[in-house]
Amino acid sequence: MEYRDYYKVLGVARTATAEEIKKSYRRLARKYHPDVSKEKDAEQKFKEVQEAYEVLKDPEKRAAYDQLGSDWKSGQQFRPPPDWTSGFEFRGGGPRGGGGAHVFEEQGFSDFFSSLFGGASPFATSAQRQPRGGRDHHARIDIDLEEAFGGGTRTLELKRPEVKPDGTVELRTHTVRVSIPAGVADGQLIRLAGQGEAAPGGGRAGDLYLEVHVRPHRLYQLEGRDVTLTLPIAPWEAALGATVTVPTLGGAVDMQVPAGAQSGQKLRLRGRGLPGQPPGDAYVQLKVVVPPASSPEARALYETMRTKLAGFDPRADLKR
Amino acid sequence: MSNIVQTYDVCLVSDDDWLAAGEICRLCRLDLEAVIEFADLGLIAPRGHSPEQWQLPAAALPRLAMAGRLMRDLGVNASGAALVIDLLDTQRELERELERLARLAPQ
Repeated sequence: MEYRDYYKVLGVARTATAEEIKKSYRRLARKYHPDVSKEKDAEQKFKEVQEAYEVLKDPEKRAAYDQLGSDWKSGQQFRPPPDWTSGFEFRGGGPRGGGGAHVFEEQGFSDFFSSLFGGASPFATSAQRQPRGGRDHHARIDIDLEEAFGGGTRTLELKRPEVKPDGTVELRTHTVRVSIPAGVADGQLIRLAGQGEAAPGGGRAGDLYLEVHVRPHRLYQLEGRDVTLTLPIAPWEAALGATVTVPTLGGAVDMQVPAGAQSGQKLRLRGRGLPGQPPGDAYVQLKVVVPPASSPEARALYETMRTKLAGFDPRADLKR
Repeated sequence: MSNIVQTYDVCLVSDDDWLAAGEICRLCRLDLEAVIEFADLGLIAPRGHSPEQWQLPAAALPRLAMAGRLMRDLGVNASGAALVIDLLDTQRELERELERLARLAPQ
């Protein structure tokens, strides 16, 4: 496994005070928090920051980590020395923070962290080591709009800490195949019963919850179960009305554009959004595209319109 | 390190499901006090007489889960988390509107 320089991750000196470490964590957490950040790889960076803070905020863990020495470089191959926890007394307190919003969480931390501070280590809190039911795990899953509409199958790699016979902890990768139900909406949860944390005492394993995020689509905008498509139409189709073919998630359909339609106007195709009870609708937003006056014939047509439609004033509203 | 492949059929938590407050607390890793504060702040609209008997729509889960993460990870209180979520909602609406207008603009 690779060594992690937690001081470097938090951007603080090895001599930093607890207050400096906390301040740096808060600043980086705000920058990379996946719920608010638009930074690239925000989720990965946030996990690294969280892992570094989990060690450096705790005087015992920090002291043990410091004992490894300062000659290590991030990414260097590393194995913990066999007696590396000797000389420490362990508090073994209950869950930290008291409230349900402050439960210690090491889900998604590195092999490096797990080998030093994970479940079988004396640094793990007693609450982690006590027999109990497994905790629920939460993860995010990004899917395409087409998958949200028609359902599909996704393969996920889940990393679970497992205690080996020698007492060390190894992150083991489980590959699971998940059926995504048709009609799943952005933000909705998918539950995989029993696929969360295993219960060390033989209790009920936790569940795995996948929060669905639908990726932005080239053609459609999603809002709840409704989808909106911007449909370009010609000026004569808008003025005279026309039957046009519209792509929808369920396949192309013919739609009647009413005479006198305007750019920005929305037409509804009932039930053509995401499936559900009730299904969403598809909205078609019209966009009138004006042909360029690039040929003598086109120019002549526009000149005729200017003469024949002289009474038309597109800016009449501005004169009121 | 071997890979174990398993296939799962999953259960979709429906927007129409109503969940007990205790279940919501477990799922979002929040304590009941925080959930009561979110109800006071208008972030969620529970049904039922007392908080212990409250039921909440499953549709509220993503917002509450996010509130829990913001409280745990950023150290903000319930009011701060509710404010962040409101502002993120507004930001998303504006981004959607911006995208809609960009699609209408000439290429």
